[in-house]
Amino acid sequence: MDTTVKKEAAAKVPFLDRPIVRTILPIAGFAIICGLFYYLTNGRLFSSKSLGLLMSQSYMLLISSIGVFFIMTMGGLDFSQGSMLGVSSIVVCYLSHYNIVLAIIGGVVTGGLIGLINGFFNVKRKISSFIVTICNMYLFRGVCAYLTTKSPVYGVSDISKYNNLPFMMTFTVVIFVIAWLVFTFTGLGSRLKAIGAGETAARFAGIRVERTKMLVYMAAGCITGLAAFVNSVKVGSVTSTAGSQLETQIMISLVLGGMPISGGAKVRFYNIILGVMTYKILSGGLVMLMIPTQLQQLILGIVFLGEVALFSDRNTGMVVK
Amino acid sequence: MGELLLKADSIDKHFGITHALDHVSLTFNKGEIHALIGENGSGKSTITNCLTGIYKKDSGTFTLDGTVIEPKNQVDANHLGAAIIVQEIGTLSGLTVAENIFLGNEDMFISHGIKNASAMNRKAQQYLNEYGFDHIDAARSIDDYNFEDRKLVEIVKATYFNPKVLVVDETTTALGQKGREELFKVMHRMKGMGSCVIFISHDLDEVIELSDSISVLRDGVYIGSIDKADATVDILKKMMVGREIGDNYYRTDYGEAISDEVVISAKNISVPGQLDDVSLELHKGEILGIGGLSECGMHEIGKALFGASYFRKGSVTLADGTSIDSIPDAISHSMAYASKDRDNESLVINDTICENICLPSLEELKKGGFLFGSAMKAFANKFARQMSTKMTGVDQFVSALSGGNKQKVVLARWIGKDSDLIILDSPTRGIDVKVKADIYAMMDNMRKNGKSIIMISEEIMELIGMADRILIMKDGKINGEFQRSESLSDMDLIEKMI
Repeated sequence: MDTTVKKEAAAKVPFLDRPIVRTILPIAGFAIICGLFYYLTNGRLFSSKSLGLLMSQSYMLLISSIGVFFIMTMGGLDFSQGSMLGVSSIVVCYLSHYNIVLAIIGGVVTGGLIGLINGFFNVKRKISSFIVTICNMYLFRGVCAYLTTKSPVYGVSDISKYNNLPFMMTFTVVIFVIAWLVFTFTGLGSRLKAIGAGETAARFAGIRVERTKMLVYMAAGCITGLAAFVNSVKVGSVTSTAGSQLETQIMISLVLGGMPISGGAKVRFYNIILGVMTYKILSGGLVMLMIPTQLQQLILGIVFLGEVALFSDRNTGMVVK
Repeated sequence: MGELLLKADSIDKHFGITHALDHVSLTFNKGEIHALIGENGSGKSTITNCLTGIYKKDSGTFTLDGTVIEPKNQVDANHLGAAIIVQEIGTLSGLTVAENIFLGNEDMFISHGIKNASAMNRKAQQYLNEYGFDHIDAARSIDDYNFEDRKLVEIVKATYFNPKVLVVDETTTALGQKGREELFKVMHRMKGMGSCVIFISHDLDEVIELSDSISVLRDGVYIGSIDKADATVDILKKMMVGREIGDNYYRTDYGEAISDEVVISAKNISVPGQLDDVSLELHKGEILGIGGLSECGMHEIGKALFGASYFRKGSVTLADGTSIDSIPDAISHSMAYASKDRDNESLVINDTICENICLPSLEELKKGGFLFGSAMKAFANKFARQMSTKMTGVDQFVSALSGGNKQKVVLARWIGKDSDLIILDSPTRGIDVKVKADIYAMMDNMRKNGKSIIMISEEIMELIGMADRILIMKDGKINGEFQRSESLSDMDLIEKMI
């Protein structure tokens, strides 16, 4: 009796839960947004000039999304990315006066330490990642504001020499390739997905859940340190608002890329790139159409909500770890 | 007597994936004390909680005195004529005794929007005195009274309006001798007025003494009813524990010598509230059965041995002296564990069959430091097929599989890992006969290949049929040990359980 009921339920997979639909929908969304803005801007959005501009604005978001992608795969969230980026950027700019490699390392270490704080409170103190990272978002925004009270922190004047397409592109691609290799070919992806889909069962399968979580929070911080370097190269200085709203941009991007907000088995690595591109074309297109900033936020909010409603995995529930 | 009062017709209730009540139908007569017995988790409290509006049933109907009732909550149930004294504390802290008694019925004392507190206190005190509980002051806070007195207040709360049906859910354990007598007086008074008292208790002697008829539930299924005159403690125990019929798929060998080689030994392991100073040894090639009632602590033994118990005291060591203190320790030393809680602990149900089978073996599957998806698929396919798992492919999500096939995925994972020491907790729970036979055959095979198995089971016949040695647990301790023998009967084991 019981098993027949379950079999019937299994046969009727809801349209939105079918793997093929989950794969196609974000791609279709990307295509629709491209088509729509191509039409609305009479092709201006896809001129080589604006594409180059779009690209140069995307590196930071692309890189910092990788870490959050890892965290969200195991069912967590990270809202502290923007503040983390701000503080790391200060370190990068400060150290860039001594040595550029030292600056990168400094940014990575700073991000990693902040990530470790997130991890500590989430894993050891058992506070949900949502709360911990929101607290740290405020805390490190405060640090960032304090350090930039008198004047912005300036990087070394020739830091902008790295701000060219070949360097930035290579930098971003190398990070992506490494992240992809680690995610796909070391078992990390399998482990993170298992934690996201069922933490207890992952533990019983021998995964060191606590250690993995700590490491991932730290790694996400380190990766954001790299994004802070990209940000410093591009802007040359840090003000108190550096990186603000980054966390929401990351979140919207990943969801637009088809990432289930509760993580788990349905996560795909390409969600990052597809999502960031969709988001950048959407927001870039809105700017080009000279839509007022307030209205842009409204539109992005509606799109975000719609996507979340479509993609949240109701089987696993909306449990944020 | 004998006149129908309440009819429960095909009551069904799920908690998530647990089928707490499987279309249970029961009838209760006027003027009787009707006991409801069964092991923990058998559904006794669930059905009475559905009746009194605490839970919402999934389907089925309750017909009380000819009318179908659908109580929305406890107060609504009271108005419809059904009341309950619950197992846990049923009074609210921070309120006075009187406020507790009239909770949800404050309207009786409200005129023009103002509550007449003194009238409420007077009325409550009057009831308390009628029941003979005059040491309780209606105007005082409930927090001033101990657990037993609070239960007395609950008795008043549940009965002052003379409900047609009164549920007494495991209340006697909370009461001392005097409290019990008071409760029994109230129960008999209710019975005398033509009401029905549904009495839930674990104390079988008490049940037989008090009840007019007794119904037994097991795992959410109605087993049968029996009259007071026919009831003995032994008969009730047998009905509660249950037996598996058609046991021709068990092992048939007897008298095989077991190796002296100990593969794992647990010394003085305790887990607060679950295990109390348990020591045991498992020999090479042995199937060690562990049995008992659900709450006896046997399920915790599997976790404690596997390093999965957070608060374990005592030591678990392998033959070479390696201490097992965490799950990764256990797995890296060729131990495997299939939990009773298949959907939460054994399997990541919202993940694919492939990932589930490969998870503990990811390191072994690497080639030159790299893990390839193709290697994982081949591995998963090989062992899923070896277990003849019914699936559309290894990319299928485990959540879509039936209980038996889920268990096959769990076993495929550990066979793939080639574990030498396998702990199986309730390996055949909720599994149909055919898959059961497969699992037994697999266990027998493993045993012959020198693997050692601990089988924790609530099914007595399974223990007798499969194990070389059986430990029976009670209240967190080992209460009896039996060797494999043809003459071993279910009653021998049951005696040590209850």
